[in-house]
Amino acid sequence: MKELFPIKQVNGFVFSLLLTIVALSVYFFDMSFQLGMTILLVTAFIQAGVQLIIFMHAGESEDKGTIYTSTIYGVVIALFTVFGSLLAMVWGYM
Amino acid sequence: MKIDHTQPLEYSTEQNQLNILGFWIFLGAEIMLFATLFASYFIYENRVGNGPSGGEIFEITPVLIETFVLLTSSFTIGLAINAMRLKRTKAMLVFLGITLLLGLGFLSVEIYEFMHYYHVGATLQTSAFTAILLTTLGTHGAHVTLGLFWGLFIMIQIKRRGLTPATANKSFIFSLYWHFLDVVWIFIFSFIYLKGMM
Repeated sequence: MKELFPIKQVNGFVFSLLLTIVALSVYFFDMSFQLGMTILLVTAFIQAGVQLIIFMHAGESEDKGTIYTSTIYGVVIALFTVFGSLLAMVWGYM
Repeated sequence: MKIDHTQPLEYSTEQNQLNILGFWIFLGAEIMLFATLFASYFIYENRVGNGPSGGEIFEITPVLIETFVLLTSSFTIGLAINAMRLKRTKAMLVFLGITLLLGLGFLSVEIYEFMHYYHVGATLQTSAFTAILLTTLGTHGAHVTLGLFWGLFIMIQIKRRGLTPATANKSFIFSLYWHFLDVVWIFIFSFIYLKGMM
């Protein structure tokens, strides 16, 4: 039974629950918008990293270079799309 | 087909390795798909017109249930893959079954949530904000729905054919998909719900 619950994955799960609870603090406590967004950005990206490395085994095969390149490329395009749109269409008009 | 026994079953043939790599590249494209939805969401977030804003219609309880249910299902599918590598077919099917039940639970709560939005007058046609909100949530929900059927068919195949390089490969790729949906949900949870209710 014990081998069905590897410690690495149990720890990953507990850690992701903790990150969710930290993220929830922005809802339960009164804080500035900047502080709240910082907490959310940090917890969300760490959470994504936990999933990628612990649960998706991104680094275990010989293709790991290609896998990380493709994923990071996707993330970079995603960040450019989101922050580029904000820059061009929201922040300039506030 | 050359089978390499030093590798886990899902990586044991060259075709299997390429399938997994190919799926990672697909996930890269999925990241960009959700990025365009998030970009549109942030642009339209405050364009509420005569309709409600996020802070007025979001409810913390269903969102919390959805988050913890999906996080747990991401954990159980990880356990399923671990059981698969130990060649414990039965344990693997149990974990896969729990994962899909949790997925179904997630979807039920999301459907309840959509009904709630409808009743408080937030539909696809209400405002730019509700349109992009429901499109983003709906795209994620549609992915989960697809995943439920995909996972079910994989369970049936494993039941019939046992663990082979082919079925192990499909299961591993399905687990990547499911974890990815959890990652997307984390961003929806943080930057749509919590940001909206802050």
